[in-house]
Formats: sequence, structure tokens, C-alpha cells
Amino acid sequence: MFRLRSILVFLVLFKSFGSIIGEEEEKIEEFSEALLLRPLPDRKVLAHFHFESKVPPTATHGSHHHLFPKSIYQLVHKYRVQEMELSFTQGRWNYGRWGGYDPISSRNAKPPGVELWATFDVPQHQVDACWRNLTHALSGLFCASINFLESSTAYSAPKWSFKSFAANIRYGTLHREAVCTENLTPWLKLLPCRDKAGLSALMDRPSIYRGFYHSQRLHLVSNEFDLTAASSGMVLEQTLTVVLQPVTLGSGMVSSLGLIQQPSWSLSSLFGREVSGRCVLSNASNIYVQLEPNLVSELMTTSETQQQSDVENLMSQAWSDMSFEMSDSPVRLIEEVYGFQKESSLLYEFSLANYSDSRPFNLEFRWKRPVTWSSQLAPLQASRFLMGSGNERGAIAISLKSVGRSGYAESSVNQEGRCSLRVDVFQVVPWYVKVYYHTLKVFLDERLHNLADVIERINVSPSEDKVSPGLMEIALRLPCDVQLVILTLEFDKGFLHIDEYPPDANQGFDIPSALVRFPEIKTKIHLFEDKCVCKSPILSKLQEESPVLWYTEVLLVPLTTPDFSMPYNVITITCTVFALYFGSLLNALRRRIEEEERLLKSKDTNASGLIGMLLSKLSAKLRGKALEPPSLPLSSKVSYRLILRVILVAGIAAAWQYFFG
Amino acid sequence: MVEISVTATFSDPPNTKSEEEADFYPNTMRKTKPGLKRLFLTLTVFISFLIALPFLLKSIEIYRAPLPFDDIDLLSTEMEKNHLMFPCQFQAVFVNFDDDITAVNELALLINSHMQKLTSENTPPCGTCGNNFTVAVTIDSNSSCIHCESGNGNGNGKWQCGVLNGYDKMNDHDENFDDYLESVLDSKSKRVYTVVVVNTKQEDVRVVVGKYRHAWMVGIDSVEKAVEKMAEIFIKVFVNAGKEEGSIRGEFMPIGADGKVVLSFSLLNSDPHDWIYDWDFKELDEILLAPIVDALRPVADISLESQVLYHTPKSSYSYWDDTRGSYIFSTKDLPFFVNSNEWHVDASTAAGGRSKVLHFVLYVPSAKECPLKLQLPNGEISMTNGFISPMWGGIIVWNPPACVENFQVQRLSRQKISSEDLKMISEVFMGQLRQLFGLKSESLYVGGFATSVLLTSEKGFAEWELDVLSRHHTCFNLLQCGTTLGSLSRLVQSLPRMIIMDEIGKQVKYSLEAAKLSFGNVSLGYSDASAVSSRKARALAEDAFYHPSMMSVSYYSFEHCFAVYSPFFLPVSLHVLLAVIREWKRYKVENRKYLAWRVKRESHVKSCR
Repeated sequence: MFRLRSILVFLVLFKSFGSIIGEEEEKIEEFSEALLLRPLPDRKVLAHFHFESKVPPTATHGSHHHLFPKSIYQLVHKYRVQEMELSFTQGRWNYGRWGGYDPISSRNAKPPGVELWATFDVPQHQVDACWRNLTHALSGLFCASINFLESSTAYSAPKWSFKSFAANIRYGTLHREAVCTENLTPWLKLLPCRDKAGLSALMDRPSIYRGFYHSQRLHLVSNEFDLTAASSGMVLEQTLTVVLQPVTLGSGMVSSLGLIQQPSWSLSSLFGREVSGRCVLSNASNIYVQLEPNLVSELMTTSETQQQSDVENLMSQAWSDMSFEMSDSPVRLIEEVYGFQKESSLLYEFSLANYSDSRPFNLEFRWKRPVTWSSQLAPLQASRFLMGSGNERGAIAISLKSVGRSGYAESSVNQEGRCSLRVDVFQVVPWYVKVYYHTLKVFLDERLHNLADVIERINVSPSEDKVSPGLMEIALRLPCDVQLVILTLEFDKGFLHIDEYPPDANQGFDIPSALVRFPEIKTKIHLFEDKCVCKSPILSKLQEESPVLWYTEVLLVPLTTPDFSMPYNVITITCTVFALYFGSLLNALRRRIEEEERLLKSKDTNASGLIGMLLSKLSAKLRGKALEPPSLPLSSKVSYRLILRVILVAGIAAAWQYFFG
Repeated sequence: MVEISVTATFSDPPNTKSEEEADFYPNTMRKTKPGLKRLFLTLTVFISFLIALPFLLKSIEIYRAPLPFDDIDLLSTEMEKNHLMFPCQFQAVFVNFDDDITAVNELALLINSHMQKLTSENTPPCGTCGNNFTVAVTIDSNSSCIHCESGNGNGNGKWQCGVLNGYDKMNDHDENFDDYLESVLDSKSKRVYTVVVVNTKQEDVRVVVGKYRHAWMVGIDSVEKAVEKMAEIFIKVFVNAGKEEGSIRGEFMPIGADGKVVLSFSLLNSDPHDWIYDWDFKELDEILLAPIVDALRPVADISLESQVLYHTPKSSYSYWDDTRGSYIFSTKDLPFFVNSNEWHVDASTAAGGRSKVLHFVLYVPSAKECPLKLQLPNGEISMTNGFISPMWGGIIVWNPPACVENFQVQRLSRQKISSEDLKMISEVFMGQLRQLFGLKSESLYVGGFATSVLLTSEKGFAEWELDVLSRHHTCFNLLQCGTTLGSLSRLVQSLPRMIIMDEIGKQVKYSLEAAKLSFGNVSLGYSDASAVSSRKARALAEDAFYHPSMMSVSYYSFEHCFAVYSPFFLPVSLHVLLAVIREWKRYKVENRKYLAWRVKRESHVKSCR
């Protein structure tokens, strides 16, 4: 016992000593990993992997690293990237069910396919060249067709609606890009432990690609080239967000009360693997289980009615009294502090430091009674659809529907005391969908509204055929009590050159997701700053304010597709007509009508010739009489010549085949 | 019209010539000449079609820039025949040989003939001097100073007599003497290879090759033996850099087409659970590798990068050897040592497309295979514990000190490789780099006549070695250029309907010009200029070969052309052809009829008389 205590004392001393050393030389490379798990209202589980590599600036630290990936460092230096975000997404984030108001959804819900944006620290005229090179480099690095973003029809330069105060930004999406393991493997290669150890070992490919939503993201911030400010080096943040359906065993889905029982889950049932210790290179290696504010309040009310216990139960982890239990007791419980509001989320922290191969970590989360709750939603629910029919023209409509909550009011009261809400809409339209921006109409609660009253700011850059896509940025100022806002834009469908159609042209053409942004409504997790909680990078990331975002659906526009064999058909028919005309003209020029008539007459009298012979044969057949054979030498001569001709043609064909085939 | 007149004659038979009438058979005779109008018309159409045919073929012809196939063939055959011989200048200096030497000219000829013998033993590899050298001999004695040059030497770097008088420290400090000789000879600007033979009252003969472009021999030796040794040093050391047949061939120079080399250093911790080692790469870079990079600058533009990787087990097998107390992997396992699945020693993104990347890997084995040692084929343990893979790079297995100690204590903390170890490692890396460039890394050269000491430069490469590299680089570039252009011309000739852009034609032309310029510079002895132009030739040849328009499927097939034009030309040409044939036949038949009638009439007229 004494020995154990002495070891503990030693450990504590060592740890504190280590931390002192750490503070002294604060500029070192760091890597941390974390996994956040959150039960979702619709019986699914959100798993959010978060890896962060930090490197001090080159000026003080040099260009040789032991943790930071070399390829990313070289990329930043070669193309002078200030900030970059690349996401590969499969599936669509279900804003209505999985929430749209928390930091994770506003950061990690991405449009399907590939989305890339980057800002560069270069003069204005070099930005496009840098972007093109960057897309090619990333394409090679991530085994994806990001290089298709190189063409100027594929990217745009939003001014303020995508990201506030960003100059030299380029933005592009590829919504048809299929995301699979070949993109994940190079992404994992950037981690020092890859998927050999630590949390990333959980990424069993079949399990994570079976999920309902899969978004792999890489976010890079560097202020290496910023000479004025104290440079903080580079931060590479890699996240993988998956929404998984836990495997439920047996019945027990519906409880006696008729409520749907939430499925219990464990790490091994979600991923098919367990965590066998941390990645030894990471500074922090934690797993968090997050309970959403609505769930926490729901749990509190149920526990109040049933057990008369308070939030204390949750705090003290008295599992027996609660609606759920976990197999391991957390290292720490972090409660969100959010003003005077009742709703606040809870985070249970588990550290991987004490687990190893022989003692793998497998967290189990069991529900004991049915609970229903709903996630926090964004103030307006956005959706987008097409109107009109036919192959000529149509209209895009973006509808923003209020969720009927007034909890966001405090952040959006203007000078006159009237509650208002600012909404930014960012929409990129490919050039072959020719949008008439003057047809923009805004309906508030199904009434047509004057544009000037609603629109605070607008920026439109019309598309240029085969050169650049159309870009529209609108800042709307809406009254808080509005229930339904609809924006409509009319467009004509353009024609493409036959070479420009993709192989599956009949499938239709995509209009990229519009981005609806609520710049005044910021979301973050409110934690006590002084509690040394901020040490964990995932928590400090969640504590950063970020505006609420909403990506709308991708629209599919059917365009007129030509018959791709048409050029040949046209050639054939034109040539045939010309040939007919030419032939008949030539015939008309050289025919001797009177001679032919005379010959015909004489033939009638003779009744000879081939046709005559055939006719006589036929008539003989009809009459049932045997025909006297025509003069033999003539027929033999004819057949001889015929055979000769056939042989000649066959010979030409053979020679042709021999020489040209 | 002709028919009308013919029918008119038929329909209106003259009554006066009733006998004639009786002899006239309308099926075989006619009274008028057959008309040529329709025949002329059809023939005109036919001929105009024939005339238009070349224009049509010209208009549908695909564009092919003319490529100088003959010049390309000439270049490649020239490169194969190994005609690239660099001119070299040698100088032999005999000091204190008062009595023995009488005829300087004979001495020069003797050296020359020995050298010829050495070079003619085997066909000289590319990048050597071949027989294209000049030898100058100087005899420096107390009393006289005789100088003689064979061939067209221009008196470059002539030995100043008497500079070695009173210099008697040549045996004590080789380095100092080397520097002294350099100050005398100034080979840097003159590029003359010198061997100095000093006759002292010494029993054993010492042969030392310096860091610059000279060597010296000290000791009593007969002139004949000195000449033999001298010739060997000239040919085997200065020209061939001590290479033998069977070692890495000089044609494989790990230098990119743009003259750039990226040295990518990777430290692989095979299992970080056991221990994590880190290196101070800055130190390695600045102190140990920077001089090499500087030294190699005339040959290649070298840049360095580093990374540390974890969880990188090797993929070959090793076994425990009790007697040696270590794990052993043999040379047979080397092809499987590099684990390409787990070792992500990626190509650099900073390097351009044509740079050559050489990987240098420091492998730290895990605890369960430590210490790990390389067994040579002769059963001994390798001193360096490393190996190279030509054109890829080198690998060193570094056994951490924790491996023999109780490693449990140091677990999970990041440790630095000590600077002594790092120095040792960098020396091995330097040796591997020399080997990758085709040079030896021993400090002794054992020849047929003498064993010479090679002084090692702190820069890693001696001046004469850099000369060898530069010559090989030029040769390799020209060889590559020749093979690339050769395969381009073969490809182009095998696909007759492939579009060739003008740009490719231009690139090929410029590449050939640069190659020619390089050849010219080689024969004139401008080695730097020839290296530059050879590099350019190779880069342009590769530009042409990898031109995007060549890479894409730019094959405009004959079938396509036929399908487009046949719907019009097939029926029309049939029409025209048939019309011509018919008219021609008809004309012949009618003409015969007319002739028959004329014969008849003439005979009739005769009979009337």
C-alpha cells in the first residue's frame, strides 16, 4: 500500500514537473485526438473524431517537423495558403432531426461530395493560379478528382456571404464525387499514428461507410506569412463525422408505455472494434459523450417526477437512479454554463491513457427507460426546390421556414427595438442555368414583399457562358415573427456544346447547394474558461463561436440532351440527298429519251432480253407449260461474266482488307 | 441531237437509193458519225472528280508536324556507339630525378602508351576520356627544368620548377601538402590532372590522391614503375573514379531532368509503443549535409526535407542469433525490407514534376526485433548496418541504445538521437549518397600496380570526383535524350494517323539542337556548358514525349473518316463511273456501226461503177 502511494506521489510530482517544462517551452509541435459521441433523437448515434496538429511558425521552429505532415506543410508553403477547408461528404445532414444549432452541425454538416475553399496570401492576380495548382496537388494527395475544380466554370469567389472578412477566397464544390476508402486512407496518412493506434483504429471501413452520414474534413489555418502579427504557426484540424445506426438486439424497442426505447450502444457495436489505448504521440486522447441540452432537460424532468432527485444525480453519476448508464465511470463531467437558461449540455470525459492492448476500452451506453427529445434547430429551416416544367425555363425557390422558437431574439434586436433576423444566402449557379437575377422575388408569409425592405445587401455576379458560374449573395433582414420566407429566381436552361455533355447527360445537371447563414446567431458550447478545460483542443474548438449554417439540397435540373448520334445521321441524310440529286442530274444529261423509246418499241416486238425472258418464264410458269430453254451459249456467257465480276469484287475486297485492314 | 438526225434518216428513206436501202441493217449500221457530246460530258465530270480527289485528301489530312527522324536516328546511334569522349589534360611531374631521365619526349610517349593500354582493355564507358587526352611531362631537378607536351596542349597549368625545393613535410601531413600543391597548381581554374613523383631517399613508396585534381608519389622508384603507376592513377582514378565493371553503371545518375535532386530523409519509428526517437534534423542539415549540398552544386541542385514517421514495421523477416546476441536479417531479405504499404515516404509535393527524389531512411527497430543487424553474404555483420537501393535511396538500421538496456524505464518519452550517433549516421548517409552517384566510399584504391590513399574531403566529394560526376551526368542526359527521342520517333512512325502538334516538332528540334551543342561543347572541353545544354536537351525531349496532346487519345481513325465521307462519295462515284463506262461502250458500238456502213457504202459505190 505504501509502495503504491509512493508511486502515486512520484507520478503526481512527475506530472507537475512535466507540465512546468511544457509551459516553459510552449512552442512545440502538438497532436491531440478526441472522439465525441452523442445519441441522436432518431435512434442514431453521432460520432465525431477530431484530430489536431499544431506546429509553431517556421521562423522560430524551422522547417523540420516530427509530427506535422510534411505534405501539408509543403503545400502551404508552395501555394501560400492562409486557410483551407476540404470536405468529403456522403449523405445529407438531417438538420431537422440531428440538430442545426450546435457547433458540430454548423461546422461539420457539409454538402454532399467535395467542398473546397481556400484563402491565399498572394496578390490578387495570382490567386487563380494558386487555386488551380492547389486543386491539382490536393487531387493527387487525396486520390479524388478535385482537379475538376481547376476550370473557371467550377469555382467562384464569394465576397462576404460565405465567410466574413475574407479576401482572396475561392470556393468550389463537386457534388457528384463519390467518397470512399481511397479518400480516407490518404487523410489518415496525415495523422502520425494513422489508423494503427489510438482513436483512429476505430475506423473500421465497413462500419463507418455504412452510416447515414459521413463527412471527412480537413481544415488548415496558417498565418506563416503574416509578418505583422505574432505568428502562431499552422493548425491542421482533421475531423470525421459519422452518423451511425446502432445494432439493436431483439425486441425492446417499444416499451410498455408505448414510447420508443432508444437503442443501447457500445463502441464495439458501433464500430465493430474497441480502442486499444491511445496514440502514444498525442498529448490528449479523450472520448466524450455529449448529452444535448434538450435531452438533459428531458432527463431532469423525468427524474424530478419519478425520483425527486435533481441534476445532482447526473453529476454524481448515480447510475441507478437515472435513465441511462454507462459501463465506465467518466474521468470528469463537464457541464455547460449558459447564462440563466435551463438548457445546457453535459459532457462526460473518458481518458484513454490507462488503456492498452491487454485492456481495451469499450464504452457501453445503456438506456434504461424510453426517452424522447428533439435536437436544437436553427432559427429557420431552409429548403430549396425547382418550379416550372419543360426543357426551356424554370425557377429556383428557396424557402425558409420558422421553427417557431423565439430563443434567438436577444442577438438580433436592432436600433429601433424591433426584433429582426439577418440571413445570408449564398448561391452558386452553373453557367448553363441562366438565372435572371432581376426576377428575384421575396415572399414573406406568402405575400410578395418589396425587395428594398427586406434585402440589406446584395451582390450578384452573373454567369458568363463557358467562363464563370453565376454567383449570388443576399443579406436578408427579416422580422423575427415571420413564419415563411420564399425567394424565387427564374432561369432559362442553356444549351451545351455536344462535347460538353457528361457521359450521363440524361441524368440531369446539378445546381450546387445554397448556403444559408445566420451571421448574428453564433453557436458555441459555454464552459468555464478557468477550469483548465480548454486544454483539450476539441473543447476549445467547440467553445469558439461560429455562425449557424445550413446547406440546402442539391437540385437536379434536367436539360435538353441531344441525340448524340445526330451528327452522323445528319451527315448521312444530307449526303444521300446530294447523291440522289447529283445522280439524277447526271442521268438527265446523258439520257437519250427517243432512242430508248425506239428500243423499247423494238424490244416489245422481239420480246427478248432479260426482263422479257423473265416475263415469258413467269407467264410460262403461270400457264403451267414447260418453257423451251433459251439459247445456251448466251446464258453461259452471261453467267461467266457474272462470276468474273463477283470474283473481281471479292478480289478488290480482299486486297483492301489486306492493305488497309 | 445525233439520234434525231439518225432517226430522221431512218424515217425518211430516200427512194432513189433502193438498193442501198436493201443492204442497210439498222441493227449493225448507222449512217452518221456517233456524237461525242454525252461522252465528253461524262468524261468531264469524271475527270473533274479525279482532279478534285487530291484536294479532298489534302483537306481531310490530319496535321502532323514534320519530325527530323533522320537526325533522331543519328543521335541515338551515336549515343549507342559511345562517341562521347571528353578531352582530358594530364600532367606528370618528376621531381629530383636528375640522373635517370634523359629524354623527356620518350617519357611522355611511354606514359601515353601505358594509358592507351589501360583504356583499350575494355571499351571505355560513356563519360570518360577514351583516347582523347594529352600528356605533359615536366622534369624538375635542382639543375634543370624541362617541359614537354604531347599533342596540342596549350601550356595550361604548367608546373613551376623548384616549388618543392625545401618542402620536406610531405609524409607528415597529407592534407597540408595537398593544400600546398593546390596553391601551386591551381587546378580549380585550369582543370589539369597532375601526378607529382618526388624522389626521396625513402624505402616504401606512398601514393596519395588528393582532394583536388592531383596525386603524388613519394619514394625511390624506378622511372618505369613510376610511369606505370602514374598511368594507372590517371586512367583508373581520375577518369573512372575507381569504378570497376559490374558496379552501378554510370548511365544511371540520380539527377532529375531539371537538374534537381530532393533528398528526403525519413526517420521511421517502427513501433512507438516501445520507444520514440527523434532527431535534431536542423543540426544534421546545417552542419553535416550543407557542405555536401554546396559541393554538389555544380552537378545538381539539391534540396533537403525531412519527416518522422511512426508505426512503420519492416516487411521482411529476421531471426534471433544467439552467438551474436542480435536479430539478423540477411542480404536476401533486402528486396522485401522496404514496406511500401506502411512506409509513407511520399514523393515531395514541393519538388517539381521532374525532380529526382532520393529517400534516405533511418529505421529504428521495435523492441521485439532489437538489436537488428544486417548479415553480409560472407557471413559477417555489416559495419554500417545499411544498404542502398539504386535510384531509390538508402536505408540505415539504427539500433537505439535503449535496446540493450532495460528499456522499460524510458518508455513513452520522446528521446533524441545523440549527436555522436547522428554524426555516424550522416557519414553513412554520405557514403550511401556517394554510392548512389556511382562513387566508391573507401579511402584506399587498390590498383594493379599500387595501392593509393584517397584523401577524403570534408565536403564529401573531391574535385576530381565531381568532374567524373559532371561527365557522367552529361553523358546520362544525352543518352536519355537519345532514347526518349528514339522512342518518340518510333511511336510516331507506328501510328500514321496520330496528330502531332507543332509544339512537339519545335521541342524535338530544339532538343536536337541542344544535344548537338552539348556534343560540340564536349569536344571543345567546356564541361559546364555541355552539362547545361545536355540537361536542356533531355528536358525538352521529355517535354515532347510527355506532351499532353500525345498523352490523350489523339487518334483520328480512318474508319471515322470513311464513315463521314462515304454516304456522299460512294453513290456519286458509282453514278459517274457507270455513266462513263456506258457512254464509252456505246460510243464504241455506234462507231463500229458507222464504220460498217461506210465500208458498205464504199463497196456499193465501187460496185455501182
